[in-house]
Amino acid sequence: MSGVLILVVGALTAIGTYLVTSRALSRIVLGFALLGHAAVLALVTAGGRAGDPPLADRLETSADAADPLPQALSLTAIVISFGLTLFLLALAGRQRQLSGDDLVEDDIEDRRIAEHTEAEQ
Amino acid sequence: MLLWVVLGAHLAGIGLIMFAGGTQRRLDARAVFVVAALPALFATGASIRGLSQDTATTSRVAWVEGLDLVLALRLDALSALLGLIVAGIGVLVFVYSAGYFTESSAGLARFAATLSGFSASMIGLVWSDSIWTLFVFWELTSITSFLLVGHKHVDEAVQRSARRALLITASGGLALLAGLLLIADGDTGIALRDLEPTTGTAATVAAALVLIAAATKSAQIPFHVWLPGAMAAPTPVSAYLHSATMVKAGVIAVALFGPIFKDTDVWQPLGIAFGLGSMIWGAIGALRHVDAKLILAWGTISQLGLMIAVLATGSAKATFAGISILVAHAIFKAALFMVVGEIDVRTGTRDVRKLGGLRTSMPVAFWVCVVSGASMAGIPPLLGFPAKEAALEAALGVDGWQRVVLLVGVVGGSVLTVAYTTRFVLTVFGPSDSGEVTDVAPRRLPITAVTTLLAAASIVGFVALDWVGDGVRSAAVLLNPGSEVYSLIRWPGLKTAFVLSMVIIAAGIPLGWFLSRRTDDIPRPLGADGADRLVDEVLSGARRITGRVQHGSLPVYLMTAVVVASAASVPFIAAIDVDALRWTDGAVVPALGVLIVAGAIGTVRIPGRLGAALGLGSVGFGMAGVFVAQGAPDLALTQLLVETVVVVAFVIGLGRLSANFPPVGYVWRTLRMVVATGLGAAVSIGLAGAASKPSGSAPVSDFVDEAAATGGGNNVVNVILTDVRALDTFGEVVVLVAVAVGIVALAQSGRAGAGDDTDLDPEGADPEGTPARSVDEVAS
Amino acid sequence: MIADRSIVVQDGIRLASPLAIIVATMLFFGGHNQPGGGFAGGLVLGAVVALRSATGLSVPLHPVRMMALGGVIIGGVALGPLVVGDVVLDQYIWETTLPVLGKVKAGTALIFDAGVVLVVLGLIVAMLDALAQGGEHRTTLRLDAEGDREADQ
Repeated sequence: MSGVLILVVGALTAIGTYLVTSRALSRIVLGFALLGHAAVLALVTAGGRAGDPPLADRLETSADAADPLPQALSLTAIVISFGLTLFLLALAGRQRQLSGDDLVEDDIEDRRIAEHTEAEQ
Repeated sequence: MLLWVVLGAHLAGIGLIMFAGGTQRRLDARAVFVVAALPALFATGASIRGLSQDTATTSRVAWVEGLDLVLALRLDALSALLGLIVAGIGVLVFVYSAGYFTESSAGLARFAATLSGFSASMIGLVWSDSIWTLFVFWELTSITSFLLVGHKHVDEAVQRSARRALLITASGGLALLAGLLLIADGDTGIALRDLEPTTGTAATVAAALVLIAAATKSAQIPFHVWLPGAMAAPTPVSAYLHSATMVKAGVIAVALFGPIFKDTDVWQPLGIAFGLGSMIWGAIGALRHVDAKLILAWGTISQLGLMIAVLATGSAKATFAGISILVAHAIFKAALFMVVGEIDVRTGTRDVRKLGGLRTSMPVAFWVCVVSGASMAGIPPLLGFPAKEAALEAALGVDGWQRVVLLVGVVGGSVLTVAYTTRFVLTVFGPSDSGEVTDVAPRRLPITAVTTLLAAASIVGFVALDWVGDGVRSAAVLLNPGSEVYSLIRWPGLKTAFVLSMVIIAAGIPLGWFLSRRTDDIPRPLGADGADRLVDEVLSGARRITGRVQHGSLPVYLMTAVVVASAASVPFIAAIDVDALRWTDGAVVPALGVLIVAGAIGTVRIPGRLGAALGLGSVGFGMAGVFVAQGAPDLALTQLLVETVVVVAFVIGLGRLSANFPPVGYVWRTLRMVVATGLGAAVSIGLAGAASKPSGSAPVSDFVDEAAATGGGNNVVNVILTDVRALDTFGEVVVLVAVAVGIVALAQSGRAGAGDDTDLDPEGADPEGTPARSVDEVAS
Repeated sequence: MIADRSIVVQDGIRLASPLAIIVATMLFFGGHNQPGGGFAGGLVLGAVVALRSATGLSVPLHPVRMMALGGVIIGGVALGPLVVGDVVLDQYIWETTLPVLGKVKAGTALIFDAGVVLVVLGLIVAMLDALAQGGEHRTTLRLDAEGDREADQ
């Protein structure tokens, strides 16, 4: 696992988290996409050293190949975060349609509970 | 097997009531009680059969194989006797309910089903043969009790009472769980009767916990406050749960665990303190109240205290006496509660200041009350008398300080018991200055039948005392083999205990008569208020915490989770071994890393949304480069394509949102930055820690060789995806379909809501030509 | 949007469309031996469709039907082996020699991948549909102004 990539994963996580805690839904989408990248990169780095592409007919010795299993897992991860990004985009669009902006509102039900408690005291 | 069938029959009955009871119109609504009574009758039969057998029937069913958890039931002399009480009184309560409720009463099906559920839980509790089975049924009785107390759930006061009952008994359940964990010592499948007597610190703590659990369940001081509140339940519930059965669970626990804990330092003093304190304080409470039902409830606290004190003493004689009182109490207290319920439904009040003179208008209820009350006061010739004699004998039989304490407590408590019984009978049925209640509704046959039967049982129990004594003895022997020699004695002769009995009666009756004359100037009950406030404080504290924690701001929720997750990385710091880390594979990776991080920063720094999307694109392309360098061409290709589609989607989708992000406050932004940096650092630390300790090399060659040989392909990654992990890939496709369905649904709802006329259904669009709008714009 | 009024870009993408189909086909069939596969193939087609949509070219596909067909294919491949008594998603490989192509090897994984192509393509088209509809004509004018501003940056 290379140290540079570990730092890159950390940076992507930090920036992704910063965006996800925003109130603008479009920023949250960007943040989720970055977190997805971070996760995939973490998987690939955890897979060990770089190697030859795992294509059986082009390898001279199979021991030189990069570990194919993390790659397969990462491929799934890429696809899922792809689907998630698209869905969040559609959600942001719908929110824009309903309320005129794409800001995340406070949870109304939770807000009511909190106000109820404050009123009680 | 029979034992499980009995519990299964209850479940079947509950199912039938729930599905058919509420909706059927052909039969009287009270028919649900007949359905509920049948399984209880079945359980009664099984218990009687168990009593007549010499050998125990056991049944163990594996629950969680790996954890050695079993559900175990056992039918021996003790559990059969307790089962007979629970199920037998259950049958009577169901019959009684049919008379107590009218056809138009609300929620009869719910009531009958819950009560039957309680009946099954309680039978399970007394029959259980492993500590876990005991615990599960113990908690089930707490929950069903909560539901039954809260039967009239629209009333605020009822809600409070139900919550209080649940809070106290469920906390007791946790104490029981902790105590059981301590004594089980890993052997979770152990049968209840196989537990060995223990001493030591762990056993002492466990003994205290079990006693506390018993005290909460049996409403012992200072946990007694829930029981008077539980009188908000319909009277059948009070008669069944809160006098005859559920509150006995604590007594039963003391009986069952007494042999195990009796040598610990804490068991006897704490048990006797709980018991005697409750016996005296409960009896005083009973003398103070003017609500007939509350008088009985406080009397129950007192009687339960007597049982716990006697059983905690642990001698053979005491065990025998404790079981005797348990049996006698179940019979007379159920009858008394039922009569109070009858008075309630026939006169419309339970206030003893308004009642009086019911002797002539409700003669049957009067005689039932006199007989059962006399049994409670320990007056011969009734079943309560030999039971109380046995308790006095037991108190006389012990040595040391316990003898004095027990004797004073039992005698004092008994005097008060006689007093409150006398006061109860006189104020309700005797002549009254405030005018006698004459407006009495007609008698209801099921009530009269059941109460008469229970009163008769107190008499028959005394007549057939040998038979009752045999049952009690064979049960007590299982707890303390020394009980073999004892029996219930009808006429003891002029022994110390008998003299004491007569003194108790002679002192108690005048006291009761005196107090019955002055019901008006008795001070309001004290003491319970403080404990009540404590419970209320717990509840309002919980509400305060909820209000504080559940404030509704989603970013703050998220940040809280992030901070907690970041903290989890701290242990990894020690694991990092910088020497074991390789900085890079090739020179191109750091350059790509810079590109990625720069793109990511761009998504934050670039003010416009489209620019931010392009920053995201550069991250994706940098990622693809890293994949190539790592030897993952499949990932690189997929990443490139995904990124293209995502960027295009952003361009189309975000273009419709306002171009710039809303402004954010400086403090909030700084806080977010700190928290986010924390998580980034945590992830890096975790990865570095993991990388410092590689766990061997991956079986890369195996994968490569196998892929070509059996997977039918040279691209190992793809073979893994479509063959080895085909099911995962299948799930991944399902996710994509779900996403698409969600997107289509969002689009469709928008279409319907906005009444939009731009229907972009591709079916309707011109296949090759451009839509009219675009042509216009191109032309302009 | 970005290139709403650029005929050059529109024509370029129009030309690229058949090319993309060829590339997608290569990726699709080559997937088992070289980088590629159903997902990549579907994404290439999807990217072209997305670009066509972004430049205002027509998108002659129906997303729900495509996904339904893809889902049926995948479900069939997954559950088919059960009918003949094998495990779920069991793979079968056929090898034949054809006149022109020579030795050809095909497995049920290929059919599975065809389903994946349809699902991915359907997803992208559905997304475009959802993003494009609704606010489109309402915001067109404003978008043009924004498009220019974005282009200036």
